[in-house]
Amino acid sequence: MGKTTKYGQWALHALFLLISAAALLPFLLLVSSSITDEQEIIKSGYSLFPSQISFAAYDYLMKDAEAILRSYGISVAVTVIGTIASLLMISLFAYPISRKDMPFRNGLSFYVFFTMLFNGGLVPTYYVYTQILDLKNTIWALIIPILLLNGFYVLLARTFFATSIPVPVIESAYIDGAGEFRIFFRIVMPLSLPILATIGLFQVIHYWNDWFNALIFVTDSKLFSLQYLLNKILLDIQFLSSSEMGGNQAEMIAALPKESVRMAMAVIGVIPILVSYPFFQKYFVKGLTVGAVKG
Amino acid sequence: MKKGFRMMTALMAVCVTSAAVLTACSTKSNEPAKPSAGGAAQEAKPGSNLPPAELAMAFFTTSSQTQGIAAVQEELSKLTKAKINATVKLVPVSYGSYLQQMNLMQASGEKLDLFVSGLGQYSTQVAQGRLMPLDDLLNKYGSNIKKYVDAPFLDAARINGKLYSIPGIRDLASDRGIAMRKDLIDKYKIDVSKIKTFDDLDAVFKTIKDNEPGVTPLVSYQANSNPADTMLGTKFDNLDDGLGVMALDDSSLKVMNLYDNKFYTDTLNTVRRWYTAGYIPKDAAVTKDNANDLIKAGRAFSYFTTMKPGYAQQASRAAGKEIVTVSFSDPNIVTLNLTRFNWAISNNSKEPERAMMFLDLMYSDKDIINLLAWGIEGKDYVKKSDNMIDYPEGVTASTVQYGLNQGWLFGNQFLSYVFSPDPADLWQQMDKFNKGAIKSKALGFTPDMTSLKTESVAVMNVVNQYKNGLHTGTLDPQSVLPEFNKKLKDAGIDKIIAEKQKQLDEWAKTKKQ
Repeated sequence: MGKTTKYGQWALHALFLLISAAALLPFLLLVSSSITDEQEIIKSGYSLFPSQISFAAYDYLMKDAEAILRSYGISVAVTVIGTIASLLMISLFAYPISRKDMPFRNGLSFYVFFTMLFNGGLVPTYYVYTQILDLKNTIWALIIPILLLNGFYVLLARTFFATSIPVPVIESAYIDGAGEFRIFFRIVMPLSLPILATIGLFQVIHYWNDWFNALIFVTDSKLFSLQYLLNKILLDIQFLSSSEMGGNQAEMIAALPKESVRMAMAVIGVIPILVSYPFFQKYFVKGLTVGAVKG
Repeated sequence: MKKGFRMMTALMAVCVTSAAVLTACSTKSNEPAKPSAGGAAQEAKPGSNLPPAELAMAFFTTSSQTQGIAAVQEELSKLTKAKINATVKLVPVSYGSYLQQMNLMQASGEKLDLFVSGLGQYSTQVAQGRLMPLDDLLNKYGSNIKKYVDAPFLDAARINGKLYSIPGIRDLASDRGIAMRKDLIDKYKIDVSKIKTFDDLDAVFKTIKDNEPGVTPLVSYQANSNPADTMLGTKFDNLDDGLGVMALDDSSLKVMNLYDNKFYTDTLNTVRRWYTAGYIPKDAAVTKDNANDLIKAGRAFSYFTTMKPGYAQQASRAAGKEIVTVSFSDPNIVTLNLTRFNWAISNNSKEPERAMMFLDLMYSDKDIINLLAWGIEGKDYVKKSDNMIDYPEGVTASTVQYGLNQGWLFGNQFLSYVFSPDPADLWQQMDKFNKGAIKSKALGFTPDMTSLKTESVAVMNVVNQYKNGLHTGTLDPQSVLPEFNKKLKDAGIDKIIAEKQKQLDEWAKTKKQ
């Protein structure tokens, strides 16, 4: 190995160390602020190494543990059900329109493409889901609207099916006597793991991060998702600290560890994504290169 | 074979499109609360000859302790069933999504009879035709509302001469002053009675600055409420958005440019003087800290704020330190005070008469008011004396089931119990305070600036660019104010003021008739 390459190597290492630090430090700051004493934050600001460690924020959240745990459960359930259901929906739509011998495939593809560009807007969406389908204040309101079938992912999956599943494989399965469903579930789906994992990860993140559906379709506090609850707590604190409240309320607000609670909730919110990411990683890399590699 | 495949794939496609619909129709995890059957066996009351009805009543919540709402709804329906043969379905919506939910509920025709209008959207909602005109209903069914809500306050909610919402009876007026830490006042023997004007504060601030290192004499109440805002509030009616204001003591209804006014320049100079002397924190223009937190942490001495009776006790509890207040102005009332949170009847309500009857109860029936304000006696509160209440044994502010604390929202707060430790005569004080307040001559005027939207946005952008800097003293008014004013003129503030003046003159004419 030549000297220049060695220096180059070092320079690269240093660069990537810097980049990782830039990604890690804010998160560490978040974690350490969440365990900093509230008064300490007000006195001397955020710091990586807090001089006054306090778990008051987590204590506060524990007091509201029931609501937070429930919303956690809702978010997990919505993410799991939603991701599986949407993978099924997306591939069930994408596979037929990827087959050259499918009637109306162009029309159906256009239908997907068209909805990516134009939609009815918020009021019609709300009207259909609440008045016709009666989804308001049900768990389905967090799963079905907007998120379940994403046109872009349908087209992504269609491209994968069309380019990476060899037609001869399907034909030979026919000859061996397999029906369409068997071919789809036993041959096409296992061959498509990379794209399914890729879309799956995106959907996990979409479902986990979603607060908009809860904002629009849910008013029952039993069904609040974690992200919406976080959003709501922040807005409530904002409203309460901006208005003058009588008696008991004032005391309650005064006792609230506002800054550190925010941080603590962000920490709690990010854990599942941190945990699930490594499992998707290997498919993720593969999935994104699909389309560039032929044959 | 070929045909079979076609059938199959087509079927798959059909599956996809129909599956969404099917899952949607399957189960509903949560049924809406049924109207309670209780109270049906009540003795004959005037209400019982009316056909039964259900009213949906939407309001916002800012607390997570809303578990008690279902029980309150049941109790409430028992009372209303007996009185007006109607049940009430409470529709609590989180504050953060409230406006959006109301838009959607009304646009999609969801059942909605009564709701809280306002939150800065009152005139917009009226312009969109979403609120029912209330005059006829009020004359027929709202005798108590007319009795309890003072006529000028009711009239203030009129738009183009028509009434669209009913203001609550609560802390409507406000005065401006300073809240200071009592421990430091005592320590340096500051004579609070000698503080009469803002200029008297220099000496106080100097004492604190010189003797208490680490304590800032004056901080902003919160990010968007700077010292100068409070000082200007003693003199001007903002006329909705502050672009074109009117002096409170002006009876000629003249709209003027606040930023081009001598009092404005003087105020900025005062704030600037305090800033350069180090009485205001260096980062005042950008910080998000609020005064209560800073005082609690021992980093600040005082803040300017809008006040009302009982304010000092309340501020003391919020800051965890005893607070004394000095007021620099008489209390005043402007239109915004009266259109902030008002009760309106939705234009698509099927039961407007019954909705008005219920509203009338919300302004006169002590049981209903207290139910909505504080919850259920014995469970959410206990009585300590005739009109004082406290939490029951073992219940605290953070465990109470009905923890809304929004007595000011539900009609007539002055008929509700006083929560200890507030003073027992709090509502009498408040009533006197409201009635004695200086009423802006433009009380009831709400401008409609939609025709000048471009100019409004442009001018607002300029204001946002300079306001925090100037109002905290961070920027030197001598050099920056002319530049600020030039940009405002370029952005079209004169057009806005002219339009506002025109609308105000027209409003004044309709008011005299």
